[in-house]
Amino acid sequence: MPTIEVNYDDLQTLIGRHVPLDELRDKAILYAKGEVEEIDGEMLKLDIKDANRPDLWSVEGIAREIAGRYGKPGLPDYKGKKPKLTVKIDPKVKGVRPFTACAVVKELNMDENTILQMIQLQEKVSETFGKKRKDVAIGVYDLHKIKGPIRYTTVKPDGIKFTPLEFNKPLTPKQILEQHPKGKEYGHLLDGCTEYPIFIDAADEVLSMPPIINSNHTGKVTHETRDVFIECSGFDMKRQINALNVLVAALADRGGIIESVKVIYPKTHGKTITTPDLSPNKTQITPGDINKLMGLKLSTKQIIDLLELARYDAKQRGSKIEAVYPAYRQDVMHWRDVAEDAIISYGYNNIKPLPPRLATSGKEVDAEIFSRKIAEVMTGLGIQEVLSYILTNKNDMFKRMNKREEAVVEIDNVVSANWSVFRAWLIPSLLDFLTRNKHNEYPQRIFEAGIAIIPDASQETRTRDARKLACALSNTIIGYEDISSILDALLRLLGIKYAMRPKVHPSFISGRSAAVLASGREIGIIGEIHPKVLNNWGIEKPVAAFELDLEGLKKIIESKNLKSK
Amino acid sequence: MFKLTEEGRQYLENGLPEMNLINALEKPLSIDTARSKIENFSIALSWSKRNGWVRLDNGKVVLIKKPGKIPEQEALELISRNKLPEKNCLETLIRRKLVEEEREDVVKKAQQLIGKEISNLTPELIKTGLWSKVRLKPYNVAAVGNRIYAGKRQPYNQFLDTVRARLVALGFKEMTGPHIETEFWNFDALYQAQNHPSRDWTQTYSLKNPKKGGLPDSKIRNQVKATHEKGWKTGSTGWGYEWDEEKASRLMPRAHTTACSARQIAAGVEVPGKYFAISRCFRPDVIDATHGVEFNQAEGIVIDESLTFRDMLGLLEQFAVEMAGAEKIKFYVDYYPFTEPSVQVSIKHPEMGWLEIAGAGIFREELTRPLGLEQPVIAWGFGIDRLAMYKLGIVDIRELFSRNLEWLRNSKIIFK
Repeated sequence: MPTIEVNYDDLQTLIGRHVPLDELRDKAILYAKGEVEEIDGEMLKLDIKDANRPDLWSVEGIAREIAGRYGKPGLPDYKGKKPKLTVKIDPKVKGVRPFTACAVVKELNMDENTILQMIQLQEKVSETFGKKRKDVAIGVYDLHKIKGPIRYTTVKPDGIKFTPLEFNKPLTPKQILEQHPKGKEYGHLLDGCTEYPIFIDAADEVLSMPPIINSNHTGKVTHETRDVFIECSGFDMKRQINALNVLVAALADRGGIIESVKVIYPKTHGKTITTPDLSPNKTQITPGDINKLMGLKLSTKQIIDLLELARYDAKQRGSKIEAVYPAYRQDVMHWRDVAEDAIISYGYNNIKPLPPRLATSGKEVDAEIFSRKIAEVMTGLGIQEVLSYILTNKNDMFKRMNKREEAVVEIDNVVSANWSVFRAWLIPSLLDFLTRNKHNEYPQRIFEAGIAIIPDASQETRTRDARKLACALSNTIIGYEDISSILDALLRLLGIKYAMRPKVHPSFISGRSAAVLASGREIGIIGEIHPKVLNNWGIEKPVAAFELDLEGLKKIIESKNLKSK
Repeated sequence: MFKLTEEGRQYLENGLPEMNLINALEKPLSIDTARSKIENFSIALSWSKRNGWVRLDNGKVVLIKKPGKIPEQEALELISRNKLPEKNCLETLIRRKLVEEEREDVVKKAQQLIGKEISNLTPELIKTGLWSKVRLKPYNVAAVGNRIYAGKRQPYNQFLDTVRARLVALGFKEMTGPHIETEFWNFDALYQAQNHPSRDWTQTYSLKNPKKGGLPDSKIRNQVKATHEKGWKTGSTGWGYEWDEEKASRLMPRAHTTACSARQIAAGVEVPGKYFAISRCFRPDVIDATHGVEFNQAEGIVIDESLTFRDMLGLLEQFAVEMAGAEKIKFYVDYYPFTEPSVQVSIKHPEMGWLEIAGAGIFREELTRPLGLEQPVIAWGFGIDRLAMYKLGIVDIRELFSRNLEWLRNSKIIFK
């Protein structure tokens, strides 16, 4: 899902050898569950499919995964040195943004590629994995500009001033939310908070206001930076640890030395912990299950080899395999997650497909077949089929049709006001069609057999799908007799005895509209469209139309067939 | 003006009954034999006797005198060629109701056009034979008459029907589901965590009205809940959060056809079984040439006692060949939240290079087991709108729901 930009040379350096472009595109990138989307000179745009593997969202993680199959199998081990820096958590953050996991990485060489990837990874992890910074927000700081210990606490909206990143004068938190672009974009995440969270150091220097913005002084990382402090903040400790692991692993792959941080939580919402937690996880899988899944007959040793290529450590334990996987992976929930890695190592294009051999009989649903037969009859009557959206808006459904507003199925988070409710009948769609074709030849004869959605409290989804048939004729001279001829031809062919009984309807001309009745039920409406409605739609020639309930028709035919049997 | 009646026309073609009788009497025939051989025997006998050609002798019909010619038969011939026979003969034929006078107005109408050069050949001219007395104007036969438009199926609908037909031919049964879904069927039953970004209000529609729906019976509901929270009996760790029943009951327009698959599994599937659905789905996308908020998806499931990765590759290969006419295919690793492992197949297009055609995955056990299914399920889907655009020669996805009557009227019939 995320698109990751990497420098081709950088990628190869991190893998540890040259990988020709063809090989990368056809084989190697698959190991990182990706696809080469675009090549722009030195830069590659990669589509990394896995939405649950944030470790693959930077060149370091991609290279690490590929390297496993290119001479570096087995578990990449990361260890953090003993903590020197402390972060003290104020109980006040519990109600605002309670959790943080922190780390220090030293001796970095901040070249162009490192900075590019670090920014990209931060952004992708906090946007996707962190749900647009709500669940995870990440800050990276120049450690040299920080005096420990650090405090994670809260301040009043105007209780402090600091210069945010890319600005040149100090502002209060309130002002930052109002004036800074990141404040405007992410400020809603602090809605309802009386105090805002900040990281502040021992010299009372503000590091950042999560999840909004770093300070310009400490929160800026440049080519000169050697040591960094990283924090992830949010509402679920596990997520912060996961995100942190992803980041430190990437920096460690660049040669950084990981140093732990002591994070002291008050008893009210935690205890003292040391982060990052880089201990690998393990799980057990059964070789038989993997073979059954793959459709192959691999030996336990072969499966172990495949897993090691996927950066696992794997050992036989009795009849099972114990697979150990790195701390930056939080996606392994079930043995299938491990199995997939083995299959990827084997190579999807190395497996011979088995042609389908299941003997099953196919069939369409009756309603679909019925609809199609109706459409055939209508085209036989010389009428053009149209297809329109089920989504519409209240203006088209009611106001333009001269109808009072009724209960209708409505969307909450509308993207475009044109598509905000679901149509309850089809004639407005046909009028919409006619008004867009005033310059085309007349007569215009159109029909649609389609879906309308009706509110229905008796259904599980409180709505009902209704199949309807609507037909509209438009010409310089057109009227009730023309549309009733069509209706008559159709119903005669279906063998349905029907009657038309006068019915007043605001969208039709009074005295020229009727309800269509069959088997004692109302199954539709027919008539000449009211000129007011034509004016509302900007249609300039008269229109005659009918709309029928197809399910009602189908039921009548079916009960007739039952009787005659 | 005189013309043959229906009976007269018959006798012209088959011969007058009396003529047929005479021709059959080489030797005397018994009445019964003659009756069985000659149609309208009583008429034949009556006129033959009247004309003195036969006599009855002891139950047999005997020829007395064979006439050289039969004036009435010749008269029928003359009338058919719009010529007048001899007066007595004509009167006989009229009395026998073999000839009648043409209506005066018909004759008059035809006579009005005599000697003229006319465009339309009229019924009166045809009936009276006076067509030979008029000149039929030659036309510019290279010119076409008025353009008329056939009643037609909408091309995109036609395309969807051919896809349906192919899937049915491959043994798939159609399944359906409601357009408005609960989050339960659209997400929860598919093991998509309630805090997953794809359930965010920017990624999926939710309804203002009605807002909440019902949930399935407590057995399924509790099994899904337990699976989300701690994995239940599926062998999974689960997502590790607290599952919210209220959120699952919220209503939304169906975002993907996979909701139908979930419902189908819970309702019961045949084993082996193959199901498909082509359904309208809704997502809050920014509308442009390749995205709409309303679109179709083609998806389905395959169930069997044992299904392997190789079967999945084989299924995708079949789709690539049957649906897209592929000659060369390649598999790619893919990811869907409800399948593991997952795969995607691309085909080589002569101009556009490698195109993604279809994707598939094996449903996670966290999805199938809580819904009551023990057997493995391959779930597949292909980009039907993109395929439609390719087949119909459209570059803008909005044209699938075209409101251009001219395009609809003139779109060509698709044969393949």
